[in-house]
Amino acid sequence: MVLYRFEFAAMACANELQLWGEDEADVRRAAEFAIADVRRIEAKYSRYRADSVTSAINAAAGGAPVPIDAETAALLGYAERCHRVSGGLFDITSGVLRRAWNFRRQPPRVPSDSELAALTPLVDWTAVEWNERAVRLPRAGMEIDFGGIGKEYAVDRAATCCAERGLAHGLVNLGGDVRVMGPQPGGAPWRVGIRHPRRDDAALASVELFEGALATSGDYERFFEIDRKRYCHLIHPRTGAAASTWQSVSVTAPLCVVAGSCATIAMLARESAEVFLASQAVDYLMVDAHGACRGPLQPAS
Amino acid sequence: MAADRAPDGAVLSATSGALLAAALALPGVAPGLAMAQAAPEQGVIALKYLDYRDWQPGEARMRVRAPALYVLKPLSDSVAVEGSLVYDSVSGASPLYFNTLSGASGIGITEYRTAGDIKVTKYFNRMAIGVGGAASSERDYLSRAASLDVRVFSDDRNRTYAFGIGGENDRIDSVNGIAVGQRRHTVDVLLGVTQVLSAQAIIQSNLAYSAGHGYYSDPYKLLDTRPDRRRTLAWLTRYHQHLPGIDATVKVSYRYLHDSFGSTSHTAEIAWVQPVPRGFTVTPSLRYATQSAADFYFDPPFPAGHVPGALYTADTRLAAFGAITPGLKLAADLGGGWSADVKLEVYRQRSSWRLFSDGSPGIAPLSARWIQAGIAKVF
Repeated sequence: MVLYRFEFAAMACANELQLWGEDEADVRRAAEFAIADVRRIEAKYSRYRADSVTSAINAAAGGAPVPIDAETAALLGYAERCHRVSGGLFDITSGVLRRAWNFRRQPPRVPSDSELAALTPLVDWTAVEWNERAVRLPRAGMEIDFGGIGKEYAVDRAATCCAERGLAHGLVNLGGDVRVMGPQPGGAPWRVGIRHPRRDDAALASVELFEGALATSGDYERFFEIDRKRYCHLIHPRTGAAASTWQSVSVTAPLCVVAGSCATIAMLARESAEVFLASQAVDYLMVDAHGACRGPLQPAS
Repeated sequence: MAADRAPDGAVLSATSGALLAAALALPGVAPGLAMAQAAPEQGVIALKYLDYRDWQPGEARMRVRAPALYVLKPLSDSVAVEGSLVYDSVSGASPLYFNTLSGASGIGITEYRTAGDIKVTKYFNRMAIGVGGAASSERDYLSRAASLDVRVFSDDRNRTYAFGIGGENDRIDSVNGIAVGQRRHTVDVLLGVTQVLSAQAIIQSNLAYSAGHGYYSDPYKLLDTRPDRRRTLAWLTRYHQHLPGIDATVKVSYRYLHDSFGSTSHTAEIAWVQPVPRGFTVTPSLRYATQSAADFYFDPPFPAGHVPGALYTADTRLAAFGAITPGLKLAADLGGGWSADVKLEVYRQRSSWRLFSDGSPGIAPLSARWIQAGIAKVF
């Protein structure tokens, strides 16, 4: 067996597939299917594309219901479950807070309470009217986005796509969200590095994966610092405050979409993060504000 | 709002692994899980009651009362079994041959029929395979059938290919002794494709071919002699369009049918499914059918120079006519998994309503009405 690597850009990330296979044409065909599906999900759900489902739903906020297909309904159903188990911390309507939290503005500044107060009425997943056929955002200006789910969902689908084409040993990595299909040939695990939250090119730890997924959420993806205090892109949906309890949370779970949403919720959950992660029966490695590590996934020495 | 009740930053976590269970409902996130999406997750039990009667001018003809029971039960994530049982009682005479013999028919008896079928479907990752059997029994007629159908789903699940094959064996022993131990064997093949065009539109096209040989004549009709082979080709296309603005669905269908008896029919139907407040759905429908007569159908009077044993029928079902069937269905969601519906259809057949050509001149207008009421529970 030979290991084939495919690198590609999608979802504003550098991505790769590592697939073990006997026949290059078979492996290549599986990779093409997987990559095409990733691009399909990006085109369908990207909020940066005017023709996406997400944009259509957001454009109709305050107006008529927008018909949706079964896949979109399934994603909304998963988002609803995340909202419920997180006590509302995971809220796919919270993206509007980015209007106040502008991470590109120079010089950066922390939004005022009144700026945030003007937006918080638009953050309310429970107000969204939806069923399996249609969704309606009831207030003009409301938005949803599938951040924290969409890319991770694409990882799982890409892995399934390869596995169903007979590839029993492989790895999918979309911008650091990873899923492996089985161990490497011979039974050795895949070693996946976890990025150090304060050092760009250093690994904090490495995790051995025989099966399943690893996803990380951190305060280093988009942020600014004022007076040595870091404000990151993960915003509490009710207070509008930036998450600051953890520098990063990495989670392993059978599915990447679970690992990703658990990591995001944990970042927002402050001191309740460990209780939450334990309740979801996932393993994790968390780095607190002082750089200390916690959790069952201990850094390799 | 649930989130308001949670203290800031606190997490209300429910059962262990709740998110993993929810994530498994997403399509295609794990190999082999898509089958759980395709297989029915809930069982259904339904009781239906059909009351049919037809009549011709001045004369009530036939009445059918048929209670039916339907059960669908998932046995596991990937296997479902469904079956139905129907018990008919048929009373009265079948439709008149033609005007001039109207006094000769109608002996007023009641016949009973018991029929049942069962089908087991196994859902795989990209396909579903169903195996079924059916039997129907009445005093002068016994029928047994078996079927195999395969459905193959595309990667994105927006297209389904269907392939089916079935066989049927019938035995006819008419009570009047005209047909004794007569048999009929039929093989059917079906090819179909269903394509989801958008979130609002779906189209399906099926081609069905059946070939049979054996006894096709009607032993209760005078001198009725039909070919001992029959080939039938049916092409059915259905299109459903959802109209989100008014939450309605329009269903249109067209069926072309040609058989080796020489009859060709065209059937077009439109139905409007309109949900209305309080959980009700109203569905008005209209169906139009036109057919040409079988090659051996003869209009009255009885053909001069008829050779005994030559092909001949005066069965008005094989005549040329047009028919219009308006219908209205009312369905109600009663909550708790219960639903009920009632449907009325009125059928009117006239030889003058045939399209493309003249209808058979000798047949009296036939009218019929169906009332069907049902109650179902999802469990």
